[in-house]
Amino acid sequence: MFNDKTIPDLAAATVSSTGEAKPTLLEEEVVALFDQMQDRLLRYLLSTGVPVQDGEEIVQEVFLALFRHLQRGKSRRNLRAWVFQVAHNLSVKYYVAKLRNRKHRVEPGAVQDADSFVDRTPNPEDQLMRNQSHARLQSVLRALPEQDRRCLSLRAEGLTYREIGQILDMSLGAVALSLGRSLARFTRAEER
Amino acid sequence: MLSDNAHLSDQELLLAADGELPPARAGQVASHLTECWTCRVRKGEIEASIGDFVHAYRGDLDPLLPSPAGPRALLKAQLAAMTAERAGAPPNGRTKWLHGPYPRYAGAALFLAVLVLFVYLRPAFESRGAFHVVPVSFPEPSLTPGVAAGVNRDQICHSVPPKNRIVPASLQRRVFEEYGISGAEPRAYEVDYLITPALGGADDIRNLWPQSNSSAVWNARVKDALEDRLHDLVCDGRLDLATAQRDISSDWIAAYKKYFETDRPLP
Repeated sequence: MFNDKTIPDLAAATVSSTGEAKPTLLEEEVVALFDQMQDRLLRYLLSTGVPVQDGEEIVQEVFLALFRHLQRGKSRRNLRAWVFQVAHNLSVKYYVAKLRNRKHRVEPGAVQDADSFVDRTPNPEDQLMRNQSHARLQSVLRALPEQDRRCLSLRAEGLTYREIGQILDMSLGAVALSLGRSLARFTRAEER
Repeated sequence: MLSDNAHLSDQELLLAADGELPPARAGQVASHLTECWTCRVRKGEIEASIGDFVHAYRGDLDPLLPSPAGPRALLKAQLAAMTAERAGAPPNGRTKWLHGPYPRYAGAALFLAVLVLFVYLRPAFESRGAFHVVPVSFPEPSLTPGVAAGVNRDQICHSVPPKNRIVPASLQRRVFEEYGISGAEPRAYEVDYLITPALGGADDIRNLWPQSNSSAVWNARVKDALEDRLHDLVCDGRLDLATAQRDISSDWIAAYKKYFETDRPLP
């Protein structure tokens, strides 16, 4: 799936024997990538403070961009990092737009409360644990510089240091330093 | 080679824990760790912090993730539209309607239609995680299965039959939201009880649905007639209450046809 091979006829439209619409191989490939990665991308966007609805729109944009990228026969090298990079760039644009439009200003990192998105009613014990976990994570994330916060979230999504460096335009050493700093803060918060 | 007195830095331990050290250095670090309790303990602490963070991160954010079904369907439709648009609606186009005299606009039209559909239905799949058809005459079973209040036949028949109560505005709004029609004109729909209170229906959102006033045939007036009929049959002892509740909640139009012995609403 993430090889560097270019298959020129992937985008060719075909019609099934019944005359019904049939997705091209390229469409199927992009949808398969969506299935693999949409939850990780959306979770990363939420961790940076993008609301669910806007996050879903950004994820759509990412995969449409991926489709155009592959339609033009561009590189297939490490598409996992590519889609995260596009999502990251779009989320940065999102915050710039929000800051310009002060009516809807959103503080980066201020992940909205779960209950504003979904109606879930766990039992009181689960709710307490969830609240404590939520509060702890939020307090750590809010205290981190934005770059550190994004670095930590990308690592939690399974990206390698090299991929994180590529997405956030950082050196490998800077990625390691950032993660070390963030984890130390998280550990201190856990101990309190 | 590391000296016996030199401990590994946290950064290096983190790189080791994440498998990010160059192979040569990884070998030296592994060798040091076998001999140095201090560094081994510290590496364990770092790994525990990673585990705690990932646990908190996933536990905190996963409950917020909505179902991907709607966005996935939207993506597939948009990709199909983009393929058609790029191909300029070729002779072996994607769908029959793309073959007409307006192939150039077909992709754009499909995309626009999908976009409108997505915006219109979006709240529905956000609220319950799947697409729902905007109701006209039928409630959506997953949203409105019908709920009875647990009253018996005597309670229903030996009191003034309660007509459908006024549903509080806040509850009406929630019903509209669940059906994905928050932006609809309120007068276009009547929030109705699926199992009417006159047949023991409960004041429960799972027993409420937005019945369209625009339906010319199977509308609220027809359903009211069925409710009256079932109430009479139950109270005359010709039909048991549970059957009446089940029939009206599973398919009220089929129930009308059954109990009025007709295929069309009576005038």
